[in-house]
Parts: sequence; structure tokens; C-alpha cells
Amino acid sequence: MSTSLTDRHPPTAAGGTAAPRRTKRRTPLGGSRHGLRERLMAGGFMAPAVLLVALFLLAPFVWTIYRSFFGDSRTSPFSWFDNYTLFASDPALSRSIENTLLWVVGTVALPFVLGLAIACLTDSSRFSRLARLCVVLPYALSGSAVAVVWNFMLTTDGAVNQVLTNLGLGSLTQGWLLTWPGNTLVMILANAWQATGVAVILFLVGLQSIPPETLEAGALDGATGWQQFRHIVLPQLRPVSIIVIGMSLVNGLKSFDLIWVLTQGGPGRATETLAVSMYNETFLELRPGAGAAIAVVLTVIVLAASWLYLRRQLDVKGV
Amino acid sequence: MSASGRTSRAAAPLARRRFLAGAAAGAAALTAAGCARGTATSAQPGTTSISNDNATWDDGYRAAGRELKKITGYSLRPLSNPSVTSYQQVVQMTLQTSKSSDLVKWASGYQLKRLARAGGLTDLGGVWKGYADKGWVRGESRDAFSYRGTVYGIPLYESYYVLFYSVPVFRKLGLSAPGSWEELLHCAEVLKRNKITPFLASQVGGWPAIEWFQELVSKTDPHFYQRLVAGQASYTDEPARRAMDLWHDFMRKGWMTPPDFDQARGPGALKEGTVGMFLHGTWQSAGMAAAGLEPGTDYGAFILPTVRPATAKSVIAESGVFAVPSHASSHTAAMANIASWLDPSVQRVWSDFLQDSSANPTVRSSNPVVAALQRDIARDHRLPLVRYWEAGPPSLIQGNTDDLGGFMAGQTSPATTLRRMQDRAHDEWAAWKRDEA
Repeated sequence: MSTSLTDRHPPTAAGGTAAPRRTKRRTPLGGSRHGLRERLMAGGFMAPAVLLVALFLLAPFVWTIYRSFFGDSRTSPFSWFDNYTLFASDPALSRSIENTLLWVVGTVALPFVLGLAIACLTDSSRFSRLARLCVVLPYALSGSAVAVVWNFMLTTDGAVNQVLTNLGLGSLTQGWLLTWPGNTLVMILANAWQATGVAVILFLVGLQSIPPETLEAGALDGATGWQQFRHIVLPQLRPVSIIVIGMSLVNGLKSFDLIWVLTQGGPGRATETLAVSMYNETFLELRPGAGAAIAVVLTVIVLAASWLYLRRQLDVKGV
Repeated sequence: MSASGRTSRAAAPLARRRFLAGAAAGAAALTAAGCARGTATSAQPGTTSISNDNATWDDGYRAAGRELKKITGYSLRPLSNPSVTSYQQVVQMTLQTSKSSDLVKWASGYQLKRLARAGGLTDLGGVWKGYADKGWVRGESRDAFSYRGTVYGIPLYESYYVLFYSVPVFRKLGLSAPGSWEELLHCAEVLKRNKITPFLASQVGGWPAIEWFQELVSKTDPHFYQRLVAGQASYTDEPARRAMDLWHDFMRKGWMTPPDFDQARGPGALKEGTVGMFLHGTWQSAGMAAAGLEPGTDYGAFILPTVRPATAKSVIAESGVFAVPSHASSHTAAMANIASWLDPSVQRVWSDFLQDSSANPTVRSSNPVVAALQRDIARDHRLPLVRYWEAGPPSLIQGNTDDLGGFMAGQTSPATTLRRMQDRAHDEWAAWKRDEA
């Protein structure tokens, strides 16, 4: 950063030529006045961002950790790990963890597989632009808007059941949002409908960056279409895959808006994920201590999952 | 900008500095504006601000405010936040600051008790006494507006839980509003035979799950309902089991709409004739009017009959509350307005707007259906019961409402549901009492 900054100085700004300045810049920073100035400058540029992150992210998080050790009665007494033991004793939170896991698996697997398939199929086909537009369009919608559309589809007297009835498949009609785990699974599908768009865009970018020579070489060596895909295309899509999976992983763990608008975590708290449980405990059940404990656990899981995944993947050479 | 490359290079740093300076100034201005005091709740001459979570009532507040101004010199200025959850957070937080509005809309019962015990509300005992002396409030409802004997709220409205029905559909099928449990079952059977779902039941939005529970328990035994919500009876006791079995039986017979049926579609469903009866608060009358239904000709309403003829008659009542924050910006004006809120001239306008009953028992509703219900309640000396939502500690009610939603979706049996509700009642009542000690 310092290099690029100083490179932009006009050559005559310090009264010398470019060559001595370059030499001066390459001296160790510590000890020299110039180095100190650069460091102060860098600090000055970083300070607003650091301050904002500290003020609006780190400070509330520290306070949330602190709050999670206090009870939810009127006097909020110190309660050690009581709020955390709810994960073992409260069936709603156990269900919430199950749902969160389902969401993580669903939101990672579905957009990845569908996104890759759609990107490969539309990369060079005749109607690729139209097909891509159809898939990518839902990504431009907000989660709440998507939920409103799917609510129209999935309620017991909604579009899906009406279509099934009209097709003579009345026996298949059901309350899609009413019974677990079906309600969680259909919401994951609704989420995949929206989230696949961004995966398609990323995979298309990845596909277009693959040198055609590699595919030609494979074809000359007699590789079939599947073999080319498996051994030439897929390995070269690895960087994009890492991004798609990483994003989906975090999105799955913090899924909220779609669930809140479709079911509010119900019926009977059956469709809550940890993010919804956190909101529910804090604002509806009026237990901010329990809500804080869920928030802490959720944050730890998101950070740990992201760190483990990215550390493993980003070590790969060339990424 | 210039044909000369030299000029461009020389100007660039200056432009950048100017841009950065401008951006910094803009950021500083935004920060300053963000830190500045808002004016929404500040005192404004001749008005009192009122925090409200139902934006569709704003016109009603303004109309009632014009009547109030004739008496007190202060009109009403509604400040609406349509998200109930965020509204509650905002009110609870601003009560502790100097930024609270002059009047706050809240729920009665334990919802008000919870707000009052955090402090920040004005004692309205004097105002209540003035109303009680004139007969403008029901004396027996005082507890629902009090915390530890002190009154903190004045009734904002009073609604009853009733079954709306479609007059044309009933007439076509040769039915009339049922006066007994047997007649109710007969209506349901006839409607079902004619491919009309007899009852609307919903858990969309959470709280509607309490509606059938409170009705069936109170119509099984109203005194048991009173003991149950006071924490003096068990959810696993016989009357609660009987009520849940009735509900379960209705569901099994296909007499109830699916639990994901949105109540907002209720008036439309009555109009179309796809649903026969719609259990809801009488404040739904405004929704009926919005759907183009005329009271008396298009819809009627009755109170659910008791399960046994000998059971005491009762009605579930819901009261909203006006409270005055201690730090209200225009406290004097707020007290003046709240002392005249139940004046019949103000209530006439307010009741007409809501098409509902007034909290002042001397004011008859102009809606003939609601007026008939008021007469029914007075004639039969129906025992008024606090709605379940306000009748117990909020954490208990919220948890039990979730359980009832699960029951409606078929996740739990009546017995399991009641056992869970009782377990929670045990814990939450203990917690509430500990806090009160």
C-alpha cells in the first residue's frame, strides 16, 4: 500500500529526482522520520474503518458475550453458563440446531450443484443469455420478496396444491409449511431458487477464464466430454468453487429473512434456525440473556466454519 | 477538462484533495445530523404526540384529536411504527429517556404490568377515579390497567371476541346465529356438507393461535379460565383437557381452515362463502367494511355459546391502553388529553372510526352488529374475561402461544401440548413471582 501511494507522488514533490526517492523508500521503516510519517499516514487512513468496526461490530459483540453470562429475571443476576445450558435442555433450541445444519447442507450443496450445472449448460448454448437471465433474476430480489412469492405458492390453499389438485394428484397435496422437516426442506429449496443465481455468475466467470488450449489438448488426447469436465474444467474452477461454497456456508448459517417472512420460525418453533432463535428469544420471549448466548454460539460457529474451510482451501497453491 | 496533459496532471492532486475534503465535510455533517436530537417527539404547541403500532388508525386518532382539542386545546399527533416488535422495543427504550412521546399505545394486563415495573410511567389513579365517578369505565377492569395497585393506563378501546358469519350464506342454508352448543354443531355440520369450511382458525403471525384456546376453555368453564390465567389452576386439569379435545375434534372433522390460512383473508373468505364463521375481535368490523361487507346485511356476529347450558356466560374482552410516560415532552397536555379521552363526544368519533365498541360503556357502537353484541353482553350479564394474550406473564404467554401453534399444525397431541404449557407455566410464574418479591 505504501508503495502504490508513494509511487503516485509527483517526481519533483520532494525536490529530488525519482532515483534517490526510490532508494529512500526502500529503507526499513522503523526509526526514520519518513517511516514514522508513512505509518502515521497509514494509520490515519485506516483509523475511520477500524473505529467503525470497533464501535459497531466489536464493542456490541463484547457486550453480547458479557450479557450472555447474566440471567433474564428482573435483576439480571450473574448466572455463569446457565444460558448456554439451554442448548441441552430446551427442545426448541435442539430443533434449531438441527434446522441450521439442514440449512448449511442445503444452501451449500444446492446452489453449488445447480449453479455449476446451469453455468456449464448455458456457457455456450444458443439461448444462454435468456437462460442465465432467468436463473440470475431471483438473485436481484430481496429475501423478503422471495418469501412473499413462495408463501403464495406453499400455503395449504396456495398455488402448488392447486396445481397438484388440477393435475389429479390431490393425494400429494399437503401443508408444505406446516410439518417438520418438510417445511424446512421447502424453504431451503426456495432459498436455492434465489441463491443459485450468484453461483451461476461466479461459475460463468470461472468457465470463461479457462484457457481453451487446455480443453483442446484434452480433446486431442482423446478425452471424452465428461473426462474433460472432470479432469480439466473442474480443477480449474477450484478457486471459484471455494468462493461459492464459502459464501453459501455463511449464508446458510445466518439464514433469517426467508424463514421469518414465511413461517416466523413456526409453527411451534419448528422451523427456527439459530439466527431466528436468537431473535425470538431476545425480542419475543423477552430473554435477552438467552438470545445473547445463542448469538455468541452462532458467531463462534460461523467464524470457526469459515476459518476452517478457508484455511484448508486457501493453502492450495495458486489460490 | 484541458487539452494539455500537463494541466491535467497538475490539477489531479488538488481535485483529489478537494474531493477528500468534501467527503470528510459530508461525513462530518452526516455524523452531526445523526447525533442531533430528532424533533418527532418534541413538544409542538397545541398537540400531543401518540406512539402507535397500527398506522391504519392514524386518521381515527386525528379525528378524535379534533374533538379533544375542543375540550382540552390539544389535538393528537400519531407517530406510527407498524412493526409490533420494533414498536415495543422503541417504546421500552424511549421511556427511559427524555425522547418519549406524550402518549403511548400499549396492551393491558401483564403487558402493561411489565412495562410499568420498569418505571417511567405516570400514575393515572386520579384520572381513573374521575372516569369511575362518571361511570365512563368499568370498575371491575381496574386491575388490568394497574400494577401493584397503581393505575398506569386508561382504556384506549374495548373489543370482544366473537364469531362473524356470512348472513347470505347462513340464510341460503337455512341457518341462523346459534344460541346453544348444539346449534353451533348443527351449523358446522351443514356448512361442511355444503363444502364450506365452518371455522377460520389460524396461527399465521403467532398470536392468533390463542383465539380458539381461550374461547373453548372459557366456554367450557369461565371461572376455570380465570384461575388458569392467574396461575391458580393447571393446564392439565379436566376443563382444559375437555376444551382441547373439542378443538382437536373440530380439526379432525375438517371444520377448521388449515393453520396457515392468513386471517387477513378472513373478510374476503366470508364474502366469497368459502368460510362460514370467523372467530376474531370486534375490531375486525373495520376490516369487514374495507372488504365491502355491510353490517347486518352481509355479516353478523355472535358470541360462542357455552359448551353446557348451565355454564356461566362470559365474553373475552381485549383492551388497548393509553399510558403517559413520566418524561413526556408535553406532559401537561398529555394529562389533559388522557383525562378527556373517554368523554362521550370523543368516543363517539373514535368508536365510529373503529366501527367497534367504545371503552366507555355509556357510548353505544354505531355499528348495528357490535351494538347488538353490547346489548347481549349487558342483558346476559356476561362475565368479562381478559384476553389470554394479556392475562399472564408475557414470556409464559409467548411460549404457550408457540405450543398452541404447534398443536394446530398437528405436531403435538392435546395432552402433550397441555403438559408443555403447564411445565412452562410452572417455571414462568415462579420467575414472575421471584421478580415481584
